[in-house]
Amino acid sequence: MTDNGYSRRRFLGYAAATGLGAFVASATDAWALDAPENPLALYPDRDWERAYRDLWRSDSQFTFLCAPNDTHNCILNAYVRDGVVTRIGPTMAYGQATDLHGNRASHRWDPRICQKGLALTRRFYGTRRVRHPMVRAGFKKWVDAGFPRGADGRPPAEYFNRARDEWVRVTHEEAAACVAAALVNIAETYTGEDGAARLRAQGYEEEVIAATGGAGVQTLKFRGGMPLLGMTRVFGLYRMANSMALLDAKLRGLGPDEAVGGRGFDNYSWHTDLPPGHPMVTGQQTVDFDLHAAEQADILVVWGMNWITTKMPDAHWLTEARLQGTRVVVIACEYSATACKADDVVVVRPGTTPALALGLAHVLFKEKLYDADYVRRWTDLPVLVRTDTLAYLRAEEVFGPGQADLKNATRVVRPGETTPPPAAQNEQLIPEALRREWGDFVWWDRRRGAPRPLTRDQVGAGSGVEDPLLEGAVEVRLHDGSTVRCRPVFDLVQEYASHFDPATVEGLTWAPASAVQSLARDMAARPGRTLFAVGMGPNQFFNNDNKDRAIFLLAALTGNVGRISGNVGSYAGNYRVALFNGLPHYINENPFDLELDPARPARPRQYWKPESAHYYNHEDHPLRMGQTLLTGASHMPAPTKSMWFANANSILGNVKWHYNTVVNMLPRIEMIAVQEWWWSTSCEWADVVFAVDSWAELKHPDMCCSVTNPFLTVFPRTPLPRVFDTRGDIEVLALVGRALAQRTGDERFARAWTFVDAERTDVYLQRILDHSSNAKGYRFAEMEEKARRGVPVLMMHRTYPKSVGYEQVAESRPWYTKTGRLEFYREESEFIDAGENLPVHREPVDSTFYEPNVIVSAPHEALRPRGPADYGVDPADQSNEVRQARNVVKTWAELKDSPHPLAKDGYRYVFHTPKYRHGAHTLPVDTDVIAVLFGPFGDIYRHDRRMPYASEGYMDINPADAREIGVEDGDYVWIDSDPSDRPFRGWQKNARDYQFSRLLARARYYPGTPRGVTRMWFNMYGATPGSVEGQAARRDGLAKSPRTGYQAMFRSGSHQSATRGWLKPTWMTDSLVRKGLIGQGIGKGFLPDVHCPTGAPREAIVKITRAEPGGIGAQGLWRPAALGIRPRYESEAMKRYLAGGFVAGGGPQKGRS
Amino acid sequence: MARVYNWQIGREMSYWYPDSRPRRQFAAVFDINKCIACQTCTLACKTTWTSGKGQESMLWNNVETKPYGFYPLAWDVKLLDQLGGQAWQDGRYEGRTLFEAAPAGERVLGWRPEEQDYAYPNVGEDDCSAPVDGGAHFQGMHEAWFFYLARICNHCTYPACLSSCPRGSIYKRPEDGIVLLDQGRCRGYQECVKACPYKKVFYNPMTGTSEKCIACFPKMEQEIQPQCFVNCIGKIRLAGWLSTPDKASPDNPLDYLVHIRKVALPLFPQFGLEPNVYYIPPVHVPLPYLRQLFGPGADEAVRIYREAPGDPDLSGLMALFGCTESLIPRWRRDGKEVVGLSADRREVIRVPAREPVRVLPAYDRNLGVYRTNIP
Repeated sequence: MTDNGYSRRRFLGYAAATGLGAFVASATDAWALDAPENPLALYPDRDWERAYRDLWRSDSQFTFLCAPNDTHNCILNAYVRDGVVTRIGPTMAYGQATDLHGNRASHRWDPRICQKGLALTRRFYGTRRVRHPMVRAGFKKWVDAGFPRGADGRPPAEYFNRARDEWVRVTHEEAAACVAAALVNIAETYTGEDGAARLRAQGYEEEVIAATGGAGVQTLKFRGGMPLLGMTRVFGLYRMANSMALLDAKLRGLGPDEAVGGRGFDNYSWHTDLPPGHPMVTGQQTVDFDLHAAEQADILVVWGMNWITTKMPDAHWLTEARLQGTRVVVIACEYSATACKADDVVVVRPGTTPALALGLAHVLFKEKLYDADYVRRWTDLPVLVRTDTLAYLRAEEVFGPGQADLKNATRVVRPGETTPPPAAQNEQLIPEALRREWGDFVWWDRRRGAPRPLTRDQVGAGSGVEDPLLEGAVEVRLHDGSTVRCRPVFDLVQEYASHFDPATVEGLTWAPASAVQSLARDMAARPGRTLFAVGMGPNQFFNNDNKDRAIFLLAALTGNVGRISGNVGSYAGNYRVALFNGLPHYINENPFDLELDPARPARPRQYWKPESAHYYNHEDHPLRMGQTLLTGASHMPAPTKSMWFANANSILGNVKWHYNTVVNMLPRIEMIAVQEWWWSTSCEWADVVFAVDSWAELKHPDMCCSVTNPFLTVFPRTPLPRVFDTRGDIEVLALVGRALAQRTGDERFARAWTFVDAERTDVYLQRILDHSSNAKGYRFAEMEEKARRGVPVLMMHRTYPKSVGYEQVAESRPWYTKTGRLEFYREESEFIDAGENLPVHREPVDSTFYEPNVIVSAPHEALRPRGPADYGVDPADQSNEVRQARNVVKTWAELKDSPHPLAKDGYRYVFHTPKYRHGAHTLPVDTDVIAVLFGPFGDIYRHDRRMPYASEGYMDINPADAREIGVEDGDYVWIDSDPSDRPFRGWQKNARDYQFSRLLARARYYPGTPRGVTRMWFNMYGATPGSVEGQAARRDGLAKSPRTGYQAMFRSGSHQSATRGWLKPTWMTDSLVRKGLIGQGIGKGFLPDVHCPTGAPREAIVKITRAEPGGIGAQGLWRPAALGIRPRYESEAMKRYLAGGFVAGGGPQKGRS
Repeated sequence: MARVYNWQIGREMSYWYPDSRPRRQFAAVFDINKCIACQTCTLACKTTWTSGKGQESMLWNNVETKPYGFYPLAWDVKLLDQLGGQAWQDGRYEGRTLFEAAPAGERVLGWRPEEQDYAYPNVGEDDCSAPVDGGAHFQGMHEAWFFYLARICNHCTYPACLSSCPRGSIYKRPEDGIVLLDQGRCRGYQECVKACPYKKVFYNPMTGTSEKCIACFPKMEQEIQPQCFVNCIGKIRLAGWLSTPDKASPDNPLDYLVHIRKVALPLFPQFGLEPNVYYIPPVHVPLPYLRQLFGPGADEAVRIYREAPGDPDLSGLMALFGCTESLIPRWRRDGKEVVGLSADRREVIRVPAREPVRVLPAYDRNLGVYRTNIP
């Protein structure tokens, strides 16, 4: 890429001119050679002070919305001087936000900003802006040559030298034409019988080929990254996927009723943000609460969440809650940043949360401290389970045919019956067939000594379950005269939890037994007064659904689900698209029947199909154990032949198992198109890069909202002229639409974006608002006007703070489950086969010192998993693919003597990759002023030329562990994960790719992490072929690609060298009952961002090898260690300092005047 | 050398110039218990004032993790070691201040960092005081700990930089007590860099002058708090005017916290500079370390802060931090709300100590729409 554009030069010139250099030049001559008599009292000439007043001045200001995927969405002020944004600040106007009734937020919400937002001045004009559209030279040749292909349909490899190829600057129209041509060609290639034959020849599995249904457009994958962050410009990728039905109709000669659209990748689940156990317990996506609820609770348990680093503008709610008397308990696998704000800190072993929650539940069971009323009213714990089939006992089995007429906020929908749109739905909508399948349930009435039916209407105040049998078994006489032995869920769960006595929990989780006991007792003493804020930490382990189910159990036993002052929240990602449930009026507008009158609503019809990107991450394979397919039919992926995405580096650049993806998966993909404003790792590996506007340059307004705060925020149009040759994301879509129209002759491709061309995207936004439960009533134009003044509006959620489950508890409405209750039992065959019909603890699938993925249990009547032998697999096989479905039960006593299979080879360190304060994902960690503060190795002058940048990725390690393997503080180390498949499958025979894939990074002595646990932040840009080449070739040693300017923060590899995607059978069922993504309709099986794989990217066990000394130029110790101010290197003075030994005679101060 | 009175050490001490307190003194309270080390303050300052050449490694505002964080490297441990043992007796400092410990022929005891000492500005980030080798449960006072220390120029009553400058290029503004370094007059001798114990004066090799925090005087002159205060999302900071102890007024929020409740304490009062940034010490850190940094008032400050939940005035005032960019030289509590006032007692800001809970009607008849928490 060429160097600076005009505006950037101006910016740099401006920055230099207004720096201190200017002061010296402009300052008045020194007034005298004599020093003043007393500068405390009088200074003769202060005229020079003008220089600073002038530096502060700005010509004008405007607002823009900064919304990386961190859930905060801050409207910021940009201050302009000479046409350039020179600094940024908070609007201080959140306290003026009101709802439609005039209710107001307080100014305690201000200021909303962070260091990453402030650094955007250096980003908008930064050297790595995508300045104009780019097409990879080889790809362009392939397109220009008319898409030549081999006999199996594959394009010749010579055109696909990704990440090493040259780039060609093109116009936006040319880029759009390239993409349109490729979409048409790829869809055509894989359509029909010929297409299937080609896929077969390329080795795709039959199920995967069949998933296309013969439609080549199904191999086209689209993704708007975290699209809630841009309802039109990011979600537009799914509207584009929907319009692929026009292409399918043309290619297969079908009408609008038979055509299908493209495929859209998931987001919340793809990012491993979805807590997959939430739908398993509650039947809907996620339970959470706005973060300002913190001050309503007596106890705030911050569980695996680094709140103060990842929820920065809302961190004060936590610290201020303490001032109001809330006790803050932090549970973490280290002494985390948030630990320093806690009243209690509990340090645990990573990935053992399910066992910890079960241990806490055990104390409640054993000491009978549970909230019995809550258990009876809102949980399935009194429901009887047949011990023979392990299914819930049905009322029909006991009382004869017939099902209750459901009336509690519920409507059973007959086939063909129409339902109201989401915003007009006040009842759960259950398809008749599902309702029939579920039946009703049974509890045992101790007073009558008899079974009693239970319908899903009977929850909360209408529960009717007064004195249920909770413990022990009963023989129940069935309607057919036989009897069956049944046990209440409570009894099964209690027995299972009894394995997790405090001593066992201490051994397994490292949490001191006394802490387990005291915490359980304290929560029980204040039922309904504990908020659980559960973070991404435990969610990124393979046992994440077990974690959710166990935490909900603990919460339910203490009355803490669905209350403002007591609830469970899962915090990762900004996900709940249902907050704008009028969304289908935009993304699913029927491309065959477009509404071009801005005043009229669209007529939605969904043609596109969602798909989990985890199969793309798994080289387009579903999961098999032996010959058995464990990916449900409703989840089945289609081959990935084209991938086009916006607003994300996570689907490619920072993908888990990145190096396997780029080496082994990308060669199967024929086009990768990226919309970006910053040259990311994803751009490095792409074929087409569209240059799009930054947030400061948006010319088409947009909107978003949040799951952690109550604001509806608008991206206002900004007055800042575009700095480079960019277009809005949504204009790119419109350009491709026009190119598709030209190529196919179908004008509807172009007309789908009519309001973009007319600069009226507000029409789409208003349609969404008008049809959304919690936004109807707002006028977009008014909201945009407020946003220009820095003021958002309040979402019309039912409660402030929003707390999911409020209606269930306060108004006795059913949950979205079969029983209408919080379900701790899962009767479906997939769960029984997995040994997870109960909320069990599984060991992590890789991040453990013990045998991975073992179900920890004493023998239990209800746990009858299908073991490896049942699948025809060698029980001793612990290879990674097999391990995912390996259902082996061991007691803790047995497990602790079964080491991880790689332990003998030196893989002894858990390696986890959390997110940190200095980046929102990868933004803006490679901006110099942010980078130098990111971690301990930041050095703006790069005294050590080995540094890839002004800062770099590093691994935190316990000092004693480091000493043991001869690693000094600040040394470079090699970090290797399981050699069977990381950094990529086949690395042993591929030195060329291994060179940039193997992880080399600094090690830091980090006393806060336990022995055996290492950490590397998720946020840093990884190495690419270009960055490695650049570091070797450049005199300054920067790891910067000579072709693209891409800047890596590793010498080689990245944190994703050690990770991989994992598929868990219980994430992929066809049977789990759950509410739809939007609205009140209930269905079952696959649902993107609700029930699908989540990947487990925090799992890795690594080996660490010293590479080079940490001192400058590999000479000696890293300087801070040499100075004696680092842990384990303390000088005598430092030791005295740590002990507070320089001062004597403290104690209460008296006699101060 | 003159004799001046330093109330923070409870006695008179020697200083290069005679006492002359400004008409009002810029001061601040930082609540360490709320600091999240997000560095937004650092960036707010840097992007406003020090983005020029020669300023690359210069942070007028920085945040470091104590005990292993230093900017520049080893700044305080080095000086404490030079100064030797420091004794307090009944709130009176019996040891030597930096002025009193100055070597012969010098005005202040100090040291000048090397260029490389400004590298690694976030060294020690999140490093705790002792190894956490396995599982643990800490309650109240943590056995392994760290905390975040946000630092700007202290705009000291007795600035070491000012006293050390051979050209007299550093002065204290009589109208607000802000300490400035005259960019026109400075010749870059760097005596101030050496003298400032907090290492908050920086040498700029491009201009050949030294520079320091200006307390955003162009903003303060408009009654607006400085950049690092307004941008503080941890809401730890409040800027204002601090009286001397004898003139303390409970409706001045700084006087209330510093003089009346004595919950906010100076950093290294034993150095003798009478610094004007006051810290509420972290309540989870062992007291010997806190006394070393914040003087003998640490014990009482920790006790009072821990009891804030039963203290609606103190907890209420803390909720007011960061809610407005205006200066609020006066405050009062109004039931469950707290109010910030201007100097002439006009209401500037009003917030609830606890955000209210609201429930909307489930159905909006006018609009025909259901409002729900599970849409």
